[in-house]
Amino acid sequence: MSEAAFDAVGVGLWTMQSTAAAPADPTALYEWFAEDAALAERLGFRSVWSAEHRAWYDGWCPALVHAQAFAAARTERVRFGHAILLVPQHDPVRLARALATLDRLSGGRVDLGAGLGHRDAEFDMLGLRRDRRGRTMDAALDALAAVWAGEHGDEPPVQRPGPPVWVGGMAPQAIARAASRGHGLMLPQTLRPHQLRAIVDDYRSQAERQGTVGALRDVWVEADPGREARFRRRVDAHFREEAGSWWVLKGQVGFSQPEQMDRQLARIYDTEVVGSAERVAEGLNELYAAGVEFLVLRVNFDFVERAELRDQLHALAQDVVPLLEPAAAVH
Amino acid sequence: MRLLLEPGDARDLDALAAAGEAARRCGLDGVLLGRTPLVSAPLVAAAALAARVASIRIAAEVEVGEAHPIEVAEEAAVVDVASGGRLILVATPAPGREDRFGEALDLMRTALSPAPFRFEGPTWRVPANLPANEHNLERLARLTPSPVQPRLELWGAGAGREAALARGLGHLAGAEDDPADLARAWDRAAAALGPAAIGAARARRERYEGDPAALVARLRAGREGFGQSWAVVAASATAAPTISRWVRPRVQTDRLPDGLEAHWDATLPR
Repeated sequence: MSEAAFDAVGVGLWTMQSTAAAPADPTALYEWFAEDAALAERLGFRSVWSAEHRAWYDGWCPALVHAQAFAAARTERVRFGHAILLVPQHDPVRLARALATLDRLSGGRVDLGAGLGHRDAEFDMLGLRRDRRGRTMDAALDALAAVWAGEHGDEPPVQRPGPPVWVGGMAPQAIARAASRGHGLMLPQTLRPHQLRAIVDDYRSQAERQGTVGALRDVWVEADPGREARFRRRVDAHFREEAGSWWVLKGQVGFSQPEQMDRQLARIYDTEVVGSAERVAEGLNELYAAGVEFLVLRVNFDFVERAELRDQLHALAQDVVPLLEPAAAVH
Repeated sequence: MRLLLEPGDARDLDALAAAGEAARRCGLDGVLLGRTPLVSAPLVAAAALAARVASIRIAAEVEVGEAHPIEVAEEAAVVDVASGGRLILVATPAPGREDRFGEALDLMRTALSPAPFRFEGPTWRVPANLPANEHNLERLARLTPSPVQPRLELWGAGAGREAALARGLGHLAGAEDDPADLARAWDRAAAALGPAAIGAARARRERYEGDPAALVARLRAGREGFGQSWAVVAASATAAPTISRWVRPRVQTDRLPDGLEAHWDATLPR
């Protein structure tokens, strides 16, 4: 069971943040990413996942493919995915070439997780309108396929016709985009099992070529209630900073809408899978039972210390993955 | 003179890394990565090479002026951080975009400086402050991460020569470029910029066909002709020992004492 279960999980998310809560040497963050990817590979994980943002104070990595190339050069088998990469914020031809170069240099170990992005400041820095991001995404996905097919004179990537694409998001447009193109889905971490089931059914009813349905989940393996509470306090501070600074609630920044922000944050906390290995496996199996085929288990945050992250990766690989019961083979 | 290898015929990451490791072991200064069938995004390959090879400089030649310069600057910053400050960004004008190459260089240099910034040029305005983007906008933009190098080493190449020289930046000339023409261009830059022109990398691509004496003659002529200070030698890992043992010692000083070359010929392996 364990080997098959390893096909149904990846680990995340690497962001390279050096925050007020957890300052870090920026170069060390990239070295650690390579170390962590190598550890994940040794432990049996098939993929590690990264997330993109830009134009913030904390060095959040705005060029994931480059960070992944650094780590791919120190690993042999583990794949590198995005949960997610903000495709409309990139020139599509450059992005296609970056992904193809990583694909060739790594021997075909890249998955594109294609998301829209949500922060006006990021779009605005690049001279883009946020409200056009859906159209930009469709054009970009076409352009990626064209570059990989050689229409711009490039050699093909190792993976044909190109790296697998996972469309991020949960909006009907995202589901339709993935279904109509035969791409997979990468659903956000806040969905409950009945919501996941509805999306999976919607996607399966639309998709001609069936892609893989993936979802992100915040996970922490901790049997001790005191230490579990400490994790919850730290993850609350982490998401409160992001939500308060970035999320737009009733037209206002999150910190100015504290009650609304609390309600939104509660959705994250309610869907975190935290506890003993048995409890975590049980929570994840509920998601597989809802039709999700692949889970990106997020155990890495800015506040997670090096030893803690290593412990979490070991605990997931040795104690949780053997208990997982993915319902179906990954497409 | 500083010497970089350009392993343009590398077929995979191992071959790129072998060239980089050979350069490092032989005391050469680094590797330049340009567009090849394997590498359609040289900055991605630069990141991979940085993970495999310590210490050396890694130059990546990228087209600038088509995509938003912020995107190129972000990628360069990430590679510089991941490599511990070893990137040389070599910018060549994207075909058909020569007219806005200088503005792109200015925007990238502004964005790569450590302070929040505003940039207004004929093509690009950052932040754009578009009316459609309404939430939580910034008056000033900030590119992060900041590169490790306080001033990222940035060269122009190709048709971007005049724009690069006018800004006191380095320039990578082609192997076919006329040395007299290069000399005039650098003289004009020195006259226009005065002391601000000091220290800019005067680089040229060099072919190497197995004759180290010919390469030495060419580099000496480049140094005499236009003050060449960097050479990018198209060669794979196997050429590194000869370049380091035979070529490098002969181009580091103005002249060698009589008898030293004969001593090397008698005592060093060819």
